[in-house]
Amino acid sequence: MASEAEERQRLLRAVKKEVKQIMEEAVTRKFVHEESSSITSLCAAVEACLLHCLRKRALGLFKYGSTMALLQKVSKSFEPAAEVSRLVADLETPSSTELSGSRKSLDNNKNQSKKNSTSVTTPKYLWLRVAIFEKKLAKILDYLVQNHSKYYEEESLIADPVDGPIFASLLVGPCALDYTKMKTSDHFWTDPPADELVQRHRIHSSSSHVFTSPGSPKRQGMQVRRDASSTEEAREPKLFHMSAREYVESLHQNSKLQLLYGKNNVLVQPKEDKEALPGYLSLHQSSDGLIIMWTPNQLMNGCCEDATDETDRSQYWEFAMTIYLEDIVYIHCHQQPDCRGTVVLVGQDGVQRPPIHFPKGGHLLSFLSCLENGLQPNGQLDPPLWSQKGKGKNTGKVFPKLRRKGSRLSSSSSTSSGSTTSMDEEEAADYVFRIISSFRPEMLTAEMLDPKALWSPRSPSSPHSSERSPWHVRRQLPPSPLVCTSVQSYARSQEEQNSECLVQASADANHRYLTYMNHIKQLCDTMTKQIISRAFYGWLAHCRHLKTVRTHLSGLVYHTAVSEDSPVDGKIGLTTEMWSKLCQNGIVTDSKEVYRLVYFGGVAHELRKQVWPYLLGHHKFGSSPEEREGLEQAVRTEYEKIMSEWLAVEAIIRQRDKEVIAANLAKLSQESTDGHIPLVRKDSSLSNEVFVSFESEEMSRPETVVEESSTARTTPSSDRKTSMELSITSSTIDRAVGTDTPPMPIKKGHLYQDSPDDGLGDSLARGSSTTTETDRSKTDSVGDSGFLTPLTPRSLPADVTDRITMVTKLSVDSAVLDEENANTQQEVKSRTNSAHEDGESSSKPDSLSTSRTSLDPRAGQDYEPGLEVKGHLSASRESLLSPASPASNGGIYSAELLDSVALNLHRIDKDVQRCDRNYHYFNCENLDKLRNIMCTYVWQHLDVGYVQGMCDLVAPLLVIFDDESLAYSCFCQLMKRMSSNFPHGGAMDTHFANMRSLIQILDAELFEHMHQHGDYTHFYFCYRWFLLDFKRELIYDDVFAVWETIWAAKHMTSSHFVLFIALALVQVYREIILDNNMDFTDIIKFFNEMAEHHNTKQVLKIARELVARLQTLIDNK
Amino acid sequence: MASRKKVLLKVIILGDSGVGKTSLMNQYVAKKFSNQYKATIGADFLTKEVMVDDRLVTMQIWDTAGQERFQSLGVAFYRGADGCVLVFDVTMPNTFRSLDSWRDEFLIQASPRDPENFPFVVIGNKIDLENRAVSARRAQGWCHSKGDIPYFETSAKEAINVEQAFQAVAKNAMAQESDVELCSDFPDPIKLKDDQAKPRENCAC
Repeated sequence: MASEAEERQRLLRAVKKEVKQIMEEAVTRKFVHEESSSITSLCAAVEACLLHCLRKRALGLFKYGSTMALLQKVSKSFEPAAEVSRLVADLETPSSTELSGSRKSLDNNKNQSKKNSTSVTTPKYLWLRVAIFEKKLAKILDYLVQNHSKYYEEESLIADPVDGPIFASLLVGPCALDYTKMKTSDHFWTDPPADELVQRHRIHSSSSHVFTSPGSPKRQGMQVRRDASSTEEAREPKLFHMSAREYVESLHQNSKLQLLYGKNNVLVQPKEDKEALPGYLSLHQSSDGLIIMWTPNQLMNGCCEDATDETDRSQYWEFAMTIYLEDIVYIHCHQQPDCRGTVVLVGQDGVQRPPIHFPKGGHLLSFLSCLENGLQPNGQLDPPLWSQKGKGKNTGKVFPKLRRKGSRLSSSSSTSSGSTTSMDEEEAADYVFRIISSFRPEMLTAEMLDPKALWSPRSPSSPHSSERSPWHVRRQLPPSPLVCTSVQSYARSQEEQNSECLVQASADANHRYLTYMNHIKQLCDTMTKQIISRAFYGWLAHCRHLKTVRTHLSGLVYHTAVSEDSPVDGKIGLTTEMWSKLCQNGIVTDSKEVYRLVYFGGVAHELRKQVWPYLLGHHKFGSSPEEREGLEQAVRTEYEKIMSEWLAVEAIIRQRDKEVIAANLAKLSQESTDGHIPLVRKDSSLSNEVFVSFESEEMSRPETVVEESSTARTTPSSDRKTSMELSITSSTIDRAVGTDTPPMPIKKGHLYQDSPDDGLGDSLARGSSTTTETDRSKTDSVGDSGFLTPLTPRSLPADVTDRITMVTKLSVDSAVLDEENANTQQEVKSRTNSAHEDGESSSKPDSLSTSRTSLDPRAGQDYEPGLEVKGHLSASRESLLSPASPASNGGIYSAELLDSVALNLHRIDKDVQRCDRNYHYFNCENLDKLRNIMCTYVWQHLDVGYVQGMCDLVAPLLVIFDDESLAYSCFCQLMKRMSSNFPHGGAMDTHFANMRSLIQILDAELFEHMHQHGDYTHFYFCYRWFLLDFKRELIYDDVFAVWETIWAAKHMTSSHFVLFIALALVQVYREIILDNNMDFTDIIKFFNEMAEHHNTKQVLKIARELVARLQTLIDNK
Repeated sequence: MASRKKVLLKVIILGDSGVGKTSLMNQYVAKKFSNQYKATIGADFLTKEVMVDDRLVTMQIWDTAGQERFQSLGVAFYRGADGCVLVFDVTMPNTFRSLDSWRDEFLIQASPRDPENFPFVVIGNKIDLENRAVSARRAQGWCHSKGDIPYFETSAKEAINVEQAFQAVAKNAMAQESDVELCSDFPDPIKLKDDQAKPRENCAC
């Protein structure tokens, strides 16, 4: 099985290679010629795959080893296959008539007859070719893959569930190409071998003769047809010269024959009684093996200026030789003293072919070496030319020796002094080579056809003409050149009859040829222009590309590279040891080195608390411990000040909410108790109405229930704090509390009893006992009064009226509400007694009190005067205690501000609760800290407000610092960079654009892939990455490492290091993305699922490398 | 198994933050509930294969960020949606109130062919909680006024009604698409691990 799998892979690789080749050809040359070698080799590779484990039974009577039979089978049930099958049949039929025509001459030349018939056989892989040209092959293969069970063994490539479809899909590309039969410029503009040039020149200069003379055998083919239909006579002249030209062209490189060797003025003595004639000797490789052809000069050069020499010509035609090397067993070589070489070929039957005399120079040798090369790999000369042993002769030296001897002999002959030494060597120069073919002929030909050998890049000059396309030749034209030669003797007998036609034909041919050449020339000019313009556009694109790099990307990195290794290896990072070295007397001055170490190696975890403030710009490098201490003190004071501000507002909001909730609850209870009033009526009267009333309430005090529930856990501490402050400063407050509290807890208690399991199913809040709740409610009221009082003296009357107008304006059915509230209040009152724990507020432990001592004096002073008013207020509040007159009105705070804060607080609470609940650090207490920081920041940035994700950014800072004010300050620093990533900022689009450019420059393949899958335009899979600096993508320890690297990178290599981390993440998984052909959605899903599973070390390393790559790219501009 | 063409239905879940969109999605797809979900940033989706009227349908359920600030991202995700699930929290009236804007925003951004009959489903989530603040009748009334949107009261935590609600959106989306040639060459998602939505039972507190 393993070997089968290997075999399958091997086959598949071969196909891949060929497909790649052909696609490259299509891209670089913009068209592929139908006879291109790539197609042949592709067909060979496909054929091999198709033959792999093909069921013999499936093909029935058809012979094994041909996929044509397979096609015929498939065509019975699959239409495209049937079509291809028909086309192939069309192509094959004419050739068979040609065959029959050529057979008439069989008796004349026994040797040639067999070869001629085979030479006419269709080119290999005909149906595959046709299928490719008709763009059907991929479909047929796909069909085969889908129905593999009918034709293939289980272990075959086609039946393989993975390889099969791959195989079929590989062919889609080639099937999408357009193939041309046009001659390409290559045929005319590349340098053909000198010999060939000579031949070509000869053909061009004396085309008329060349065309006419070999035209005669052609006529024989036509003659046969003419018998069938006399009307064809009119077309004959045209056909003559075409076939004539074909003969000559057949002597050259073409699609079926590869010219291996060509030499003019080779003497052959065709008959014993004739003297040797000079002629053109050529060695061809065809699908059927090697062919040696010799054509007398008289035929090549044209000997019939006047058409009188017919006898001569026919004689010459008789002399022309075509020898199939397969028939030859021995090659006798004779070195002549005058340095000429003679080759006599001896056939299997022992009959000698006419001797071939090579002129002076190493021609014999080069002929032999070409011959030997041509025989390989399946045949060889025995002894081989270069072999060291064999026949007792040192044949290994034959080649050089021959050459040497040749030169020496030539010199000796030039001096006309035949020496004895030359005579000695002359004897040694007689060899007999045996031709060994080690493979069956079929195999041999298959290998021989290997187009790589046939179409070496240096000889692309074979004269393709549209007529020479294998099948078209057969369909439209008289027999192929090889047939012509085979029927020459027959032709001779007929030649006289047609001599007149020949003259006419030659003139016509000449004319046609000229126009043809003109046409070609034009074509070439156009092509040249196209090539030049293409080159120009390529250059232009390159320039644009570089410009993109320079203008868009050069801003992403700093242009000076940073050494990783000096002064010390950066990979070790900022260790404790290193830090103590850098931190002299508590002053760190060498910022560069700190950044460098952090950038390459990160910070030791225990140092982070100290180092991060530097990295974030909170502490300045070079600052003394005292300065830092002072700064922290100032920050803490500031933080507490801000906190007291928003805590005040929060208290107001909470109070307001309570009232709303009370109202809601009343309404709801009313709805539920006297069922006839509410829902039905409201629903039927239109739901909108319900909404109006509801909205009006909530517009002024949104997030009622939620607020209450979600802050349940967090509020106690903050409120308690206020109460502490107050109780410390003045005992009157306590008294005030005492007087104030009774009505409030009632309400509170009511609320909490009614909505104990509110929102979110949050178990945290519920964990706290009822005592806490009641306690909080008490402190709440304290907070309210405490903060309210300083404000109210100034603005109480206006304020109250304002509030009332607001309420009346907003609540449409305030009357109803009032009624409802009356009910509620009754309920509330009835429950009053249940909630009484007055004394507890002052005795409650205050977790935050220590840190807030600094605040207390000021707070005390500020609040003191207000306390006097307090009595009135609380009294009046009691009287006002109805939902329509919210006692917790925001004082100087506008309704809009309160709404905005309330909304933000609600959101913060929601997200704080959900923030990293699974991380051990975030217990209730620390979540409170997180909330405080978040609220403080949002209070300072109310214009932006809280946006989801901010919590995620605070969390790691808090984990490291475990200090509210420090974490807050650092968070502010962090947000300087991050805040523009949030929806209001618009930096995200810039990130996406940069990302796009970077991928385009650094990973063109991936970019191409993304381009094809359209939706990538927005790179949304990176959204969370950039918004949170990868916080959600990585586990906490990795987040720390990544963040500090980003911060250090800002001072080292790039202020956009996140981009490179993102790019690195993409790079790490690029193969997966490409192999699975992922589109936009797949990638989002993939990366979401990969969150917290990345190898961060590797990612960071790649990111740094990418930075370096871009740096060099920009440097090298 | 119906051997007809495999259909992909893209369903978007919308609603205020914290109403339980992620929980609903995971309960439906993975049959798991966790109280550890974080606020969704950006967007995520899960796929589930379901049979709708003996047709195999792949539901691609998109979970989105709840804060309306992130709606600008929506365009990319809403495009090509076949159905939309609007979620509110029955204990929080304001989440119910914002259904209007979610629906409108969706119709603007997704711009479906037939906005009037676009397959919506409304889910009132968290019915396992006791402090209910939005009555079923009110929710139903709203749904009725918006063209008889099916309304379901669910609990993602207790897995109440979740299956039915999503089945309904799939069915309606299919009905909507039935006259249109449905064809999708969306490749199967690459499943890297199954335990993504593994519930973590312990609270961090």
